[in-house]
Amino acid sequence: MSAEPQQRRYKLIDEVDFLIIGCGASGSVLARELSRNGFSVVALEQGPWLDRKQFTHDEYRVQAQSLLTNNTQKQPMTFRKTPADKPVKQPALLYGRMVGGGTVHFTANYWRFHEIDFIEASKKGSIPGTGFADWPITYADLEPYYTKAEWDLGVSGMAGVSPFDPPRSKPYPLPPMPVKSSGVLFEQAARKLGYHPFPAPVAVISQAYQGRMACAHCGFCQGFGCEMGAKSSPLPSMVPQAVATGRCEIRPHSYVRKIELDAKGRAIGAVYFDQHGKENLQRAKAVIVSSNGAETPRLLLMSKSNRFPEGLANSSGLVGKYLMFNTDTIVQGTFEHPLNEYKSIEVTRIMHDFYEIDPKLGFYGGGGFSARFLWTPISFAMGGVPPTAPQWGSDYKKYLAKNFNRTMMIMGHGTSLPVADNSITLDATLKDAWGLPALCVTYKDHPDDLKTGRFFNARALEILEAAGAQERWEFPVEETTMGYHLLGTCRMGNDPKSSVIDADHRTHDVANLFLCDGSSFVTSGRGQPTETIQTLAFRASDRITALAKKGAI
Amino acid sequence: MDNSRRTFLNQAAASLGLLYLSGLTPGILAQAHEHAKTAPRNLDGQPFRFFTPQQGADYGAFASQIFPTDETPGAKEANVVHFVDFALSEIEPQNKQDFAKALVALHEQAKKTNPGAKSFAALTPAERIETMKAFEKSGDFGMLKFYTATGFFGDPSDGGNKDEIGWNLIGFEDHFYYAPPFGWYDAQLLKEKA
Repeated sequence: MSAEPQQRRYKLIDEVDFLIIGCGASGSVLARELSRNGFSVVALEQGPWLDRKQFTHDEYRVQAQSLLTNNTQKQPMTFRKTPADKPVKQPALLYGRMVGGGTVHFTANYWRFHEIDFIEASKKGSIPGTGFADWPITYADLEPYYTKAEWDLGVSGMAGVSPFDPPRSKPYPLPPMPVKSSGVLFEQAARKLGYHPFPAPVAVISQAYQGRMACAHCGFCQGFGCEMGAKSSPLPSMVPQAVATGRCEIRPHSYVRKIELDAKGRAIGAVYFDQHGKENLQRAKAVIVSSNGAETPRLLLMSKSNRFPEGLANSSGLVGKYLMFNTDTIVQGTFEHPLNEYKSIEVTRIMHDFYEIDPKLGFYGGGGFSARFLWTPISFAMGGVPPTAPQWGSDYKKYLAKNFNRTMMIMGHGTSLPVADNSITLDATLKDAWGLPALCVTYKDHPDDLKTGRFFNARALEILEAAGAQERWEFPVEETTMGYHLLGTCRMGNDPKSSVIDADHRTHDVANLFLCDGSSFVTSGRGQPTETIQTLAFRASDRITALAKKGAI
Repeated sequence: MDNSRRTFLNQAAASLGLLYLSGLTPGILAQAHEHAKTAPRNLDGQPFRFFTPQQGADYGAFASQIFPTDETPGAKEANVVHFVDFALSEIEPQNKQDFAKALVALHEQAKKTNPGAKSFAALTPAERIETMKAFEKSGDFGMLKFYTATGFFGDPSDGGNKDEIGWNLIGFEDHFYYAPPFGWYDAQLLKEKA
């Protein structure tokens, strides 16, 4: 199953300018920008290349067959809370595994980071037991690229209406999406409580844009690919635009096992298994890894050599460390009249009043709230019913019949602290279907992250009460065992001892090896990392282009 | 900020309607609908490929405890048992063993709760309910319930949710295009601002 169009083909022995490993949120941006800048590019993607005609609303098949995501049958993994625990085989990460990556199935929340997100350590001081640090770049460095991401991909929203928003050079290219009942209830209640809710910025086009059709409100955003091409993943934009340069080849079903070095310690390309299991070495002048916050460190750790016995570009010992998932919380309520939340995009109103929780409360944290729904019929039947309601039988049927269309939720999306023990490592014994070491995930939420989650739920329950919810309940805030946002595992910094890449995304250890994806994050931001991941990729493209043109790679 | 209070909702109301329809391309809508909504799979009268007759009877009795046939149709009418037989044969054969184990656990629970019982399917309605109560906290219950919910609410192209029985129950439509207003509260807003 593939949607490969006509495209430029390179031979394995062709030494292309850039080999990009991972063609998702960031890799597809890099592929488009670098090929537009005149470079020859091969982008290897472990998953398939699908297009909108191959997507479906069949919620069972999308999940059971891992049509859009990693398949834990073929790619098993292990989990433990601390390095002292024995890893247990279980799914612990979900990530997009296809051309376009996780942005194909994401909810499409598209939030910029704020100024504070880059300079928290110097503003708030260090936090014992964590690697809390400033980024080597600031919001001002990224602002032009946030704007570029919003305009090149297509984002709907209303600029300048949240008092907490950072400065911006341009408004959103498209007006906000129409408000849903959850947004109306949330906005009215939050205002009553003195907060400042505003229309959600989303990577979904509210009007026709760049030849793409506007959203038809089918309601299948989160967890699904968009049949209309209205969700602004790279699939309908970056990917065809990269191919159209005639300089970029995207190679799906290419599973990389090692980055190869020459005797001087420079990367010469990468070895990968193709669709038929055959091993190939694609040569390149420079390699950029954008495989996500789990697969990027895994590939470096698998690329051991005499020069790098602890893993490639790992002289700091920090490859795979400081994994951050983002704190996510959910409260739910039911209302007298139908909301019909299964229609249209998930989120139409958000607020940032608790972007920075008052430190006087005694813990670090902050984030945003979204009014939304995330259920489809099967998932609602399994997870959308409060624990106090009947779980089977005629009363269960009646509960579902009454409340599927009368339920909304408020989610909190927030910080996670960088803790060195939280990490991606290679499992000592478990192998994947290609015989490569499985991912081992070690994760235990910092106590402040749990406090942040509990604070979010308390505020969200108050909003539901002010909105007049009939029943309200919370999903208990517990330690995380499953990660969706994969951040921080090859952090950026100026000091080679305390970071893996520099501010240009170049590894401190290998001059022609770059990393650019969620792994580059120093701190977690507030729950919606996608815009920043893509913005980093736009900026990295400019930085890498400048270095290449100077002959400095 | 005070001067913008309430304005987002005002603006939202004013901008509803044609603005959001202007960007739609009928051809893409039709194509999306065609690709994503395939015809229902008809499993009526198919012989079991995974279940033994006893397993089919036990699981069918379980599914009818989750979604009984009462004032509205239940698991039986939605073809849940045949869906699961198809799903485990074609889509998730890797789960056959766990599903069979869960049925064994149901059988054991039926005998434990009702000494001398032959099978879950052979229990009286009251005995089935007692067994379910004792069984409902287990992982095996969760697995059987997941497949039951999937057969009841899943895409009819996989053979369950016959005649969209599950979707009709909860008021879900699988259309590919909706225009605002979507629910009562946004419709109310529209009326107030009109």
